[in-house]
Amino acid sequence: MRSICTLLFIMLQSSIIAQTEISGTITDTKGIPIIGANIYLDGTYDGGTSNDNGSFTFSTSEIGVQTLVISFLSFETLYLSKEVEAMTHLKIVLKEDVNSLDSVILNAGTFAAGDNSKASVLTPLDIVTTAGSAGDYIAALQTLPGTSNVSEDGRLFVRGGDASETNVYIDGLQVFQPFTARTDNIPTRGRFSSFLFEGTNFSTGGYSAEYGDALSSVLLLNTIDEPDQETTDLQFINVGLGGGHTKKWENNSLSVNAFYVNVKPYQNIIEQRVDWIKPYESLAGEAVFRQQFDSGLLKVYGGLNYADFELVQEDINVPDGINFGLANRNLYLNASYKGSLGKDWDITTGASFANDHNKINIATTDVDNDENSAHIKLKLRKRFSNRFKLSIGAEQFLVNFNETAESPDFDTFRSSFDNNSTAIFTEANIFFSKKLALQLGVRGVQNTLIEDTKISPRASLAYKTSSKSQISMAYGDFYQAPQQEVLKYTSILEPEKSSHYIFNYLYQNNGRTLRAEGYYKKYHDLIKFDTEMPQFNSDFTNNGSGYAAGVDLFWRDSKSIKNLDYWVSYSYLDTERDYRNFPDSATPNFAATHTLSLVTKYWVEDWKSLLSATYNFGSGRPYNDPNESVFQNQKTRTFNSLNLSWAYLISPQKILYFSVTNVLDFNNVFNYQYSNTPNMNGEFARQAIRPNVDQSVILGFFWTISDNKTDNQLNDL
Amino acid sequence: MKTLLIIATFLAGLIASSQSNYEKGMTKAFELWENKNPDQAINLFERIARAEKENWIPFYYAARVHINTAFDSKDADEIESRLKKAQEYLNEAKTFSKNNAEISIMEAMLNMAYVAYNPSVYGMTHSAKVEELYLQAKTLEPENPRATLYHAEWKMGGAKYWGKDPKAFCPEIEKAILYFEKQSNHETPFYPTWGKDQIARVQQNCK
Repeated sequence: MRSICTLLFIMLQSSIIAQTEISGTITDTKGIPIIGANIYLDGTYDGGTSNDNGSFTFSTSEIGVQTLVISFLSFETLYLSKEVEAMTHLKIVLKEDVNSLDSVILNAGTFAAGDNSKASVLTPLDIVTTAGSAGDYIAALQTLPGTSNVSEDGRLFVRGGDASETNVYIDGLQVFQPFTARTDNIPTRGRFSSFLFEGTNFSTGGYSAEYGDALSSVLLLNTIDEPDQETTDLQFINVGLGGGHTKKWENNSLSVNAFYVNVKPYQNIIEQRVDWIKPYESLAGEAVFRQQFDSGLLKVYGGLNYADFELVQEDINVPDGINFGLANRNLYLNASYKGSLGKDWDITTGASFANDHNKINIATTDVDNDENSAHIKLKLRKRFSNRFKLSIGAEQFLVNFNETAESPDFDTFRSSFDNNSTAIFTEANIFFSKKLALQLGVRGVQNTLIEDTKISPRASLAYKTSSKSQISMAYGDFYQAPQQEVLKYTSILEPEKSSHYIFNYLYQNNGRTLRAEGYYKKYHDLIKFDTEMPQFNSDFTNNGSGYAAGVDLFWRDSKSIKNLDYWVSYSYLDTERDYRNFPDSATPNFAATHTLSLVTKYWVEDWKSLLSATYNFGSGRPYNDPNESVFQNQKTRTFNSLNLSWAYLISPQKILYFSVTNVLDFNNVFNYQYSNTPNMNGEFARQAIRPNVDQSVILGFFWTISDNKTDNQLNDL
Repeated sequence: MKTLLIIATFLAGLIASSQSNYEKGMTKAFELWENKNPDQAINLFERIARAEKENWIPFYYAARVHINTAFDSKDADEIESRLKKAQEYLNEAKTFSKNNAEISIMEAMLNMAYVAYNPSVYGMTHSAKVEELYLQAKTLEPENPRATLYHAEWKMGGAKYWGKDPKAFCPEIEKAILYFEKQSNHETPFYPTWGKDQIARVQQNCK
């Protein structure tokens, strides 16, 4: 008995000891050996690491069919199932992981600002520490190439397109009124406080099929998924004050903030060109709630904004000026959910709603309008492999507009419309290798108001030319429904159309970035009318057209000089269009041929100070002189502005901020207004349209209170 | 009866040998690391982690070797890819062990590595995370010596930067020394106990 047991014992032991040798070599697709790959039998400790020749060998006591796993950084993990005994002299070829950091990026037309230092040209911090931006993320984007400097307006004018050609999205859902209420020559700002956002994508053309109804550009803002910590922020500036608080719980968090602006005390000190009756005053509140689920994230954003002002606008035809008053109330709600459905399916869905109410008084006319807008969206994305992903989506837009205009001169005039549209889109992302990627998309939109259906293709291709450079191209058709000012009076129109052709070169090397982009944009079916402004008796057509061609250059260097970070943007723009009431094709007033921005940021360690200087240059802007026979053939003087700011960190949580715009006091002219009738000499008199103030000064104190005492609001300046 | 006993002994031996497999593997991985083969060590830690299932410790060490190696590297691409991989390992470790002070400390060190490597890009965003993670670790284990020591070092760095006296945090180091002495051998094999040898380095700020 005992001997049997001993025998059994020996047999068992020997079966444990019986070892099989596993060996092979690992190369990439080009046959170059991969060193340091991890090779092991799944579920066991048995494995090894490939040596300098890419070869490996290890022994195992496993038998039968097993799975050999081969993994290495930036390569796709390979699984190989076969008999252990047959795992000798294996020739293993690993494919590059196209999701790794050094892969080609589909970036034609796009500026990304995010934490991923490889793919983005700007960090979120850059957007808000730029001198002259005064915490407005839109103003900071205007230092990027492709944008025109239209500082009397404040909105984004992209590549020869006017401000209505850019759409803004928060978490993938449209923002219907992204800018604060304004009137001619009073610049606006973005409605939203910059510190609620962590990622920004600014596309100056050729953007994805997921977005539509914008001829030129989209700006995609993403709210913070998860705040780092609980904080309380207080802001005191010379034109207002604000505060915010973030509270975190186990799986959710809430951020609230409010800001009050009253420029009256400031305007009493600094002389203004505009004669204010009631200076600008506004109150804004925002809240974001985030809830983390096992496989998804829900974010709910709400913003309420109230603003009013009244002023007398200079007008060459009205000696006493025109009295203009405006009170605006804007409510914006946005709820979005993104999550995983399992089996490599992802879902992004949500809805946004806006109510915008204006009470406007122009001389003796009272206008009261109300607009309700909604956007509902569902997008599904399937990851078939790292190399092929497909997304499909559907969205619905609803806009209801009502307006009443009353004047002693005419009867009450009412206008209203329902502008509803449905869109579907699909897009495929294909990585042929780490070097070559393609994105193909198509979008279909049906608009029930103008009774029109349009299909627009989009394509983007990128090829990595070396480890530090790549080229990319994009093409797309873009449609945009007529704007509110036109839809009030007619709906018998087609959407306007543009086609983009973009060629991009990107070079990135250790803190230095060069981006050069050439483009051609063709406009079709632009809306024309035969009156000075759109009105009830205008004759509207789609007979307009135009083009824009140009080169955008961007150079950024944060390495060459210690503590100095700078970027230079230059845009060359050649554009003409026949639209609105233009008698001929001409370059519009907002489009300067040459635009240059130089942004510098210098960190002075000893002073604990971030010094920032921004210089903006624009060549002369076209304007029309009725004394000349040719339409719009005159140019204003060049635009120059040097802005400085100084952020001094008193302690990690207290910042003193001081900024001055146009420190050299350049005398800038945007346009000229001519009188409607000639004077006695037969000449049309004119007056220059100039900035409301030549220089502005901001002084602020920002205080953050948090448990950990390191966070501050430098992010928001 | 005797047969049964033999079989029982044999089975016990089998179990013991599978237990020691883990210990042998881990010990081998530590040896590789000590002998300046960080990538082989990481590979072995990862193999053990994948075979073990539901054990956070090998993932933790795979991350730790990446982070320590990243601290010594000057190559931006290498640092970025190591830290990215380390974060993935820590995320896996967290799925097996929630509210683990040691994992929070390691994640704080990972974020410190980002700050150290590129302060202008990561300083503002990741500093807050470092602080939050150390606080989290201290809430979970108020007497954790590593959390106490490394948090004090981080605070000293901040104090020096702001022109304040880093010595204000020296009592924290004294506390850390005490906690290291009190630190009992954990029943879980290979449970983190490292860090005592770093006291002298951090204490230089107190001279």
